[in-house]
Amino acid sequence: MVAAPATNRSAKRSRLKASPLVAAGLGLALAAIGARPANAADPAVARGAYLSAAAGCDQCHTDAKNGGAPYAGGRAMATEFGTIVTPNITPDKATGIGGWSLGDFVRAMRWGIGPDGTHYVTAFPYPYFSRLTDSDLADLKAFLDSVAPVTRPGLGAASSLALLARARAAVGEAFAANFAGPSATLPAPRDAAVLRGAYLANSAGHCGDCHTPQSWFGASDSGREFAGSAGWFNGRKAPNITPDPKTGIGGWSEEEIASLLKDGGTPDGDFVGGAMAEIVRNTERLTDDDRHAIAAYLKAPPPKAFGENK
Amino acid sequence: MKLSTKWIALSAIVIAGGLYVGVARADDAATLDTRIATMKSQGKDMTGIKAYIDDKADLASAQAAGADLVTQVAKIPDLFPKGTGMTQFPGKSYAKDAVWTDWDKFLAQAKTANDKAMALNAALKGGDKAAITAAFGDMGKNGCGACHEPFREKKPS
Repeated sequence: MVAAPATNRSAKRSRLKASPLVAAGLGLALAAIGARPANAADPAVARGAYLSAAAGCDQCHTDAKNGGAPYAGGRAMATEFGTIVTPNITPDKATGIGGWSLGDFVRAMRWGIGPDGTHYVTAFPYPYFSRLTDSDLADLKAFLDSVAPVTRPGLGAASSLALLARARAAVGEAFAANFAGPSATLPAPRDAAVLRGAYLANSAGHCGDCHTPQSWFGASDSGREFAGSAGWFNGRKAPNITPDPKTGIGGWSEEEIASLLKDGGTPDGDFVGGAMAEIVRNTERLTDDDRHAIAAYLKAPPPKAFGENK
Repeated sequence: MKLSTKWIALSAIVIAGGLYVGVARADDAATLDTRIATMKSQGKDMTGIKAYIDDKADLASAQAAGADLVTQVAKIPDLFPKGTGMTQFPGKSYAKDAVWTDWDKFLAQAKTANDKAMALNAALKGGDKAAITAAFGDMGKNGCGACHEPFREKKPS
């Protein structure tokens, strides 16, 4: 939903008041995107809704299998540290994130630490969300604040292994920073589309979460960015999405990559399954320009051979 | 003599059993080959229809692809006999065990794919590009993709 310009808003409001039918229609439309009428006209909410779709917040934080309300959590997800149940991120004050300040939200998104000091496992991809700009995080919060609050107690209890997972990843990051080779060398950005694609792919899109191999310590191997993974260390297999002609997407055109992000179809007429099918439910909600921007960015870096360092 | 008869009979049973298993496995391997070829044909058909949508091919070729797709998709349930999954054929089959442990769901999804393929074929016959594009997207996502998501293991590369 595109917000009305601020100058027209009050005039539109008065018209809406005069027409209960139009108001009912607008209410239905807003309900369809899960926003409350009070905030849905806010441009920040509209921008936040787009970012939420790009990141797929609703995919993990909705128990769709059991008919759960959007963003109300409850989806059970298998991780290498056992099954976690996603928390409620609707603005319900008691069981959601309604009581969070913007500072609380930013800390959770950037550092994976809740207001009560709870540490989140990296199944919540905060290392990627940490790259979202301040204004994008504020927009995202504005959107989540606009979602209908749902009371759903008993979710999101931190796993007792969360701290172990965090400690392991921290050791991995420290090791990579001090002893491993230089991190991924990205080519100088060629144009605005590549930059935009880099931003989306590395923040909300969290492509590297699956497509960049991890070390045993659970840290992304930055020197192997997007090279794919045989799942040696975390069991998560993912293909090479660097422009390697043999094992990657070197033979794919930018249009073909954008097309996959739109409908899941590959150049050979196959349609992706597994986790990527879920990601396509995010990327299909992006604009054509943003899908092409991600494609342009993926085509930009030098090719890498498939998988973990051998 | 009595002992050797017993051994001969036992050996015959073992050999016959081995042959039976071998033949069954050869049958499964042949079915798997057919399945892979059928899936590739479907991919080719979808590529042909996409080419029309992208203005790279004419409607007649897309219609031919649509007609073929319907016949290929209808074969799916018969191409998944037990014993042809990734457990039995690692590196060749990517069919998860869920196909057989959740057979009814798999059959329902195969029927959905069949219905979507028929709808796409009907749209192609109608010749309206917007309808064809919509039916193509529906087939890809809710026909092919919705089955691959729960039932097909990712290929690592």
